Formats: sequence, C-alpha cells, structure tokens
Amino acid sequence: MEIKQSSSPTSFIDSTVVPGDVVLDLSSMTNQTIKLGGGLRQDCDAISAMKAGTLRFSKPNKYWIESSQKRYVPCVEDTVLGIVVDSKADNFLIDIKGPALAFLPVLAFEGGTRRNIPKFEVGTLLYLRVVKANFGMNPELSCTDASGKAAEFGPLKDGYMFETSTGLSRKLLSSPTCPVLEALGKKLSFEIAVGLNGRVWVNAASPDTIVVAANAIMNSESLSTAQQIIMVEHLLKNIQ
Amino acid sequence: MGKSDEMVTPGDVLGRATELKPGKGAYVASQNNTIYASLTGFRRILLPTPDSPDQRPIVEVTGHKAHGPVPEPGSVVIARVTKVTARTASADIMCVGPKSVREKFTGIIRQQDVRATEIDKVDMHLSFHPGDIVRAVVLSLGDARAYYLSTAKNELGVVSAESSAGATMVPISWTEMQCPLTGQIEQRKVAKVVS
Repeated sequence: MEIKQSSSPTSFIDSTVVPGDVVLDLSSMTNQTIKLGGGLRQDCDAISAMKAGTLRFSKPNKYWIESSQKRYVPCVEDTVLGIVVDSKADNFLIDIKGPALAFLPVLAFEGGTRRNIPKFEVGTLLYLRVVKANFGMNPELSCTDASGKAAEFGPLKDGYMFETSTGLSRKLLSSPTCPVLEALGKKLSFEIAVGLNGRVWVNAASPDTIVVAANAIMNSESLSTAQQIIMVEHLLKNIQ
Repeated sequence: MGKSDEMVTPGDVLGRATELKPGKGAYVASQNNTIYASLTGFRRILLPTPDSPDQRPIVEVTGHKAHGPVPEPGSVVIARVTKVTARTASADIMCVGPKSVREKFTGIIRQQDVRATEIDKVDMHLSFHPGDIVRAVVLSLGDARAYYLSTAKNELGVVSAESSAGATMVPISWTEMQCPLTGQIEQRKVAKVVS
C-alpha cells in the first residue's frame, strides 16, 4: 500500500474536496496569518475540510469551501427570506430553513417602538437580515440594516416564492449580474428578492411573466452562460 | 439518641411543641401545637446547647439515603450550562458546596446577574457556552422551574470550558480563555483562579 505525501496546497485550490481531506499543512507555511472561512477546521497544524465542495482562495490569505446545498446554515449579515411561524410577546418566530427557528425582535424595525408593533399573520414572507447566529442558540434577525434604516427589509407582498439551493442563491446575487437575470431583464420587467437561505421571490405585473421568470431561474443552476441565454430565449418564445 | 430510632414518614406526629423544638425535616402546626415530620427518615432528638435561652430538645428527621444536599439561597454551587439564549443561561446544578447532589436541580443565570458592571450590555454568548462548568451563588429559590443563580463576583463564573477543537481551555483573563491545541481565544465570563 502506497503512502501518499500530502501535496502542496496550491493543488487543492479550486478543486473538489471531501470531509477529512487535509487541504493545508501549516508547518510548511510559517509566519503567515491565514483566515479560514466556512467548511474548514484546524487540528493543530493541519487544516482539514468539513464540507464537500470546492476549495477557494482569495488574496491575500482567505480560504473557504464553497458548496451548494438545500440546507442553510445561518451566518451573521446574511440576507434571507423568512416565513412567520408564530408571534410571542417579544419576538416573532421565523422559519429561515435553518436548523432552528429564528427570532425577530418586535422592535427591530425602523422607528419601532412598543406602540407601533407590526402585526404579521402566520405565513407572511419577510426579507430579513441575520444579526446573530451562534452555534446552539436560535439566530436573531432584524428588519433594518446596520444603521437602523428600513432599506427594503420587511414584508413582501404578492408575487411568488420558490425554493432553490444555496449555491444558486449566491450565483443570483453575484456581480457582475448573473446571465439568466440579465437575459430575462432585457425582455421582461419583474421584481426579485433573493435570500441566501435558498428562497427566491419574484413579482411582476402578469402571472405569465412570473412563471417564466421562476422557471428560467430554477433551470439555470447547472447551465453555463451560453446555455442559460439559449434557455431563456427558448422560454420567452413561448409567451411572445 | 442512638437507641433504636423509629422510621417516620411525612405527616407522622413527632411530639408536642411545648416539649420539643422542630429541627430539620420537622415543623410545628400552630393550631394544635404538635410537631409533625415533613420528610421520610429516622426520628432523632438532639440535646439543646447549654447557653441557648430555649432549653427544649430539638427533634429532627434525618438519615435517609435520599437526603442529598439542597441548594439554599447564599450557597455556592457548581453547575453545567445546558442552554444559552439571548437573555438567560440554563444550568444543571451538580454540587452544593463540596457535596454532589442526589437529584436534579436546575438553575437559571439571567443577563443582569452575569456580572456586576454594565449589566445591560452583557452578551450571553460571550459569557457562557453550553457545556461550560460554572461556579455560581444561589440568589433565591426562583420560580417553579429553576433556582436563580448569579455569577456577579470575581471568583464566580466559568471554571472549565471546552474549545471548539475539543480541548480544555486555559483562562488568560477575566473575559478570555485560550485553547492549548489551536491557540484560538474564546470569550467567557471567567472565574478568578484561587491559588
């Protein structure tokens, strides 16, 4: 049985890793500070992967694992789409597709005081920001940005919400604009809200437009740029 | 005392309040001046101290093996944190003073009882994590669910904690503990080490 030496770190970057792979050996990288992002774990001198996915590196020193899952793990400062499940005295209980229900404090709105507490029915869809996401505790959300302004957070009226994987949500939010959104935007006019927890909301003037936009986005996950443009043209032919 | 003490159960009559004083596990019913037992155990009579004004012997019910120590307001307890939320931390009380308890007691540490200064800016997650062992003092019997505990003194707080890498952390200041394997620093409300 051959014993394979751990290869140099550059060979793992941008390639697929599985949990248990030792991706970095700290003893060969002295005097550097590296930042570990999601999916990586330090065991004394070896950095090993905890998630299956692609190892990414960004200059000068950030390493993380990117993978697309249906499950969402709450992180601070993520924007998510949540559904109201219950309301208690001090907070609303929101489902954000994570391991635990999240709390939205009743005062976490712009100009929120005890006198003007919003009333959300069970099932209301909200666009929210994650404020605290500690392991073992329920995440805390807010309907304001860091400076206290409303900034588009809050309930989303009408429209259609569908669920996708977290990888597709990140692609839709990347800049430059994702090809499928650009192709749709040239011909249709619609409103879209993307949650990093794998939920997307689309609204437009007519139901046909909403359905075409939703189907185009759902189909685009594993397609390349050119394929996405062709797929969108194909779908648009059917309604025009 | 010492000669075959009889086994009594709650509600048994132990004597009259005119002749005896109730001790541990006994109480006096004022309607008829009789002392009844409130626990199960052996009835023992203790002689009064010579300098006390009230020279009645004390009757108590003790000796049953289920009588473990019970947390009382003011006693120092060791507890293991089970749940941390935004405003409270729940803990299972394991020892009262130097003795370990025989049955399960639950305690709650509220946000305002974590430390003595700046109590409204306390972040519970930067003070305790589930699984930490803390030394706390019992404030009161609390509500039906849990005792109220406090760690608002220098020598109270997290005594032992495990880092996310799995090693027991070493305290380096009153707010920080360091993992010996990875060098990562985690924040806790650390108890002052008594040397």
